[in-house]
Amino acid sequence: TAALTAGLERIPDQLGYLVISEDGVLASAGELENDEHTAGVMMEMVRTASRFRLPGSTDPPFKRMSILEDFVYTVTVSGQKVFVVKRQNNQQEPISV
Amino acid sequence: MGCCYSSENETTEQDPDERKPLIPHPNPVSKPPNGTDWITTNVPSARTDEQALLTSILHKTAQNIIDVSAADSVMMEQHEYMDKARQYSTKLAVLSNSLPQKKALALPSLTSQPHQVLASDLVPYSDVQQVSKIAAYAYSAISQIKVDAKEELVVQFAIP
Amino acid sequence: QNLNSSRYLRLLIMESTLEQHLDDTMKNPAVVGVLCTDQQGHNLGCRGSLSDEHGGVVSVLAKQAAALTRDPTDTPTVCLESESGNILVRSHGTITVAVHKIAS
Repeated sequence: TAALTAGLERIPDQLGYLVISEDGVLASAGELENDEHTAGVMMEMVRTASRFRLPGSTDPPFKRMSILEDFVYTVTVSGQKVFVVKRQNNQQEPISV
Repeated sequence: MGCCYSSENETTEQDPDERKPLIPHPNPVSKPPNGTDWITTNVPSARTDEQALLTSILHKTAQNIIDVSAADSVMMEQHEYMDKARQYSTKLAVLSNSLPQKKALALPSLTSQPHQVLASDLVPYSDVQQVSKIAAYAYSAISQIKVDAKEELVVQFAIP
Repeated sequence: QNLNSSRYLRLLIMESTLEQHLDDTMKNPAVVGVLCTDQQGHNLGCRGSLSDEHGGVVSVLAKQAAALTRDPTDTPTVCLESESGNILVRSHGTITVAVHKIAS
């Protein structure tokens, strides 16, 4: 798993990550260290989003799923593993009154 | 159209072996006795259509009933029982090995370069703002609270 | 009787307001699809690339994303991204909208 996680560590403004397989969490770090709850929800969301199809296509219409709030979760699937990286959301402007 | 389990193309045809016993019965006997014999077949000659119907219903019902009291109680010695259990489990183990491994629902492969995909630029904040605005307007349309900055909130009535 | 007809009129207005809103959203050249659904995934209205069949997935996705936040008043935006375009999902109160935007 060292090769898998080395790349994740280098992602700029990352706050933590998760690597999940069907059998559970393979690796975790930072703010997502041992975060079983987030891992479970992410797995469900990936399964839900995978059912999405646009007319005339047989593949899911996305390479990445993001969940944006004060911070951002970026999620993708490769080789039967779900990768989740929690990143800072720097682009958010201050709330305009 | 893709739905949750659409990848699993189950064959609907019945496997002829499906209902074959795993271990052949040592002394094959006929089917379990059912209660058809207690149906009286000699009906009065002047039977009405109603009676005929009733008889056919009764007959159908009887076919679906197994008379347990009429069945021979099969007693089995304990060693016999253990022996049979062992036979079944070995037979099952052999059969399950030949079955293809089936995953619950394989995850889709979205990319071959997860690190690049995860590290690439985030969705523009303007898009996030736009969709949140669209959601707010849609909600107000549903709840009939019309949010429209162009209109005056306080309207002066023309008082004569 | 009067009450009934006024309620019917209000329902008509409510529906046409949403329909108008969806039409206005589609006027944006980058937007190729829009959908509005309730919490149960019932379609309240849709245009373009997004249709009835997407209502369920959209509402479930929004519900699942809400489970990620510690503060229940926070509403996250879920985005399904590709090079060709993004599908953005966002809830407000009892409804969820999805907007399909193509890359400009």
